[in-house]
Amino acid sequence: MRYIKLPSENFGKFFKSLGEWGTLYAPVKRGGIYSFQEVHDPAEIALDYNRTMLPPKKFFFRPKEAILRLKNGRWEEEVEAEPTVLFGLHSCDIHGLKILDKIYLDEPADPYYKSRREKTLIIGISCMPDEYCFCKSLGTHFAMDGFDLFLHELPDGWLVRIGSVRGHEIVWENGELFEEVTDEDLANFKEFEEKRAKAFQKELPQEGLADMLDLAYNSPVWKKYADICLTCGNCNMVCPTCRCYEVCDRWMDAYSSVRERRYDSCFMENHGLVAGGHNFRPTRLDRFRHRYYCKSYFDPTAGYNCVGCGRCDEFCPAKIEHVKVLEEVRGSLK
Amino acid sequence: MSENPYQTYDARILEVKDLTSREKLFTLRFLDPEVEAKFNFKPGQFVIVDIRGFGEFPISICSSPTRRGYLQLCIRKVGRMTKFVHKMKEGDVVGIRGPYGNGFPMEKMEGSNLILVAGGLGMAPLRSVLWYAIDTGKYENVWLLYGTKAYEDILFRDEIIHLLKHGEAMNCSVKLAYEVESPSCIYLEQGFSDRVCKGVVTDLFRGEEFDVNKAYALICGPPVMYKFVIRELLDRKLSPGRIYMTLERRMRCGVGKCGHCVVGTSVSMKYICQDGPVFTYWDALSTRGLI
Repeated sequence: MRYIKLPSENFGKFFKSLGEWGTLYAPVKRGGIYSFQEVHDPAEIALDYNRTMLPPKKFFFRPKEAILRLKNGRWEEEVEAEPTVLFGLHSCDIHGLKILDKIYLDEPADPYYKSRREKTLIIGISCMPDEYCFCKSLGTHFAMDGFDLFLHELPDGWLVRIGSVRGHEIVWENGELFEEVTDEDLANFKEFEEKRAKAFQKELPQEGLADMLDLAYNSPVWKKYADICLTCGNCNMVCPTCRCYEVCDRWMDAYSSVRERRYDSCFMENHGLVAGGHNFRPTRLDRFRHRYYCKSYFDPTAGYNCVGCGRCDEFCPAKIEHVKVLEEVRGSLK
Repeated sequence: MSENPYQTYDARILEVKDLTSREKLFTLRFLDPEVEAKFNFKPGQFVIVDIRGFGEFPISICSSPTRRGYLQLCIRKVGRMTKFVHKMKEGDVVGIRGPYGNGFPMEKMEGSNLILVAGGLGMAPLRSVLWYAIDTGKYENVWLLYGTKAYEDILFRDEIIHLLKHGEAMNCSVKLAYEVESPSCIYLEQGFSDRVCKGVVTDLFRGEEFDVNKAYALICGPPVMYKFVIRELLDRKLSPGRIYMTLERRMRCGVGKCGHCVVGTSVSMKYICQDGPVFTYWDALSTRGLI
């Protein structure tokens, strides 16, 4: 990997130059909530944000989108994607995208996701954990790939890691904005990372996690939390790795129809309902437990389906905490 | 063909046949000869039927790949979509995409005996296996144990009765269990006293000797059936690896994206649409919620 430095005074110019690559989106604070919004000026960005409500998956796998349009009795594809720059992704969200890639780019690739993914530039940014973050214990607190450029905060600028050929091109074309990294910068980078590592307040021990959960299938803890859970599906919506979707056809007028898909939630009763009325996850307990099993499933090529971003905790109206549930389940085994 | 996995291909309904009061058999052929030529499938696979402007639903293929030029789907009227399909007539066009899923390992089972155990609508995917076995002649003996509610509910009744009469010549032995008595059933029972009885599908195992080292069991039926049938097979010392079952889940996309058919726990998660719908009993033992 190549490391270079972006001095603070060049940040504005660098940011403007990204606009040439596509529409710029970055975290913006609105009310008490951060979200990825279109920006034109670096002053609009909340560089020190903790987490956005909807993760960056919304740019690739939309909350609601048309996949096919019926015109004259035939389905027409609608693969539209415009060049986009996502600025300021945290490491956990980059890992989240990698897990989505595993599903949506695996053959047969989802053409909508794929075309958007190919046309999007990913610029990562370093962060400080808050009380909800537990990415460090899942190994997703640092991204080694999955981005074009990654910016690490230094006292007088940014240490930039280049993660792709496109990243190299951007730096190449804006060569005058960057400097070589000095030993002092590296020392500052190391200091920041050490400080950050100590700042984590929450931990999810991943040792034997998948096995432990499987053994605790009948643990009373599931029931306890399923009774508290409102099954609203909020955690699914805000999760950077949840990707269930539902499809339906909608008539536009007498001659044309559109096939739409939208986010679905495994907490909804009809998620597991088949024709004839058989439901293979009929109770709230079944569905609650399923989400935890799905998030804790370990794929040898993509890792856990959870990246420890803390969104499900922050936006849960019933105040259910992911780590606490898993810890209690683990405790119930002893 | 299109690279878009959600695109469907036009297929014309060649024939609609009433099987029972709830089920109809649709015979289809792709309009595009190129698609028709490329479309190949394995017994146990399924397709997604697309009624443009109304939606899609998955359905298993009940014809055999040995009989080319058409595709047959047995559709039960249970919901909004299937109700709509039941109103369709010969000449109407639907969209089809697929085939999806793993299907039964027919080549691996060559030279063995096949024990097909069907319950109700489970007859549909197993019919594909049955005709494949009969057409290829690569299997020593085929048993079909079929449990049905009443005489009127027997799917492919003509074919079943034909096999009851002439199955021996094709190395195929059919046995039938019914739950509701009727004059037709009693007449059938009188004609084939050793192979038709009142009861449930597990009753058909009585008196049958299978060479467990040479047999494979293929099961499809309502969820409640699996436990009892598997117990019967295990009692006869059939290895769990030789027990195949095909499962029904909510396959929405068919290509492992939408997540509706996912079952299992943190150590073993399966997408029924891609890892299945055919699983062995070993899979069921290692994946919770499979059966």
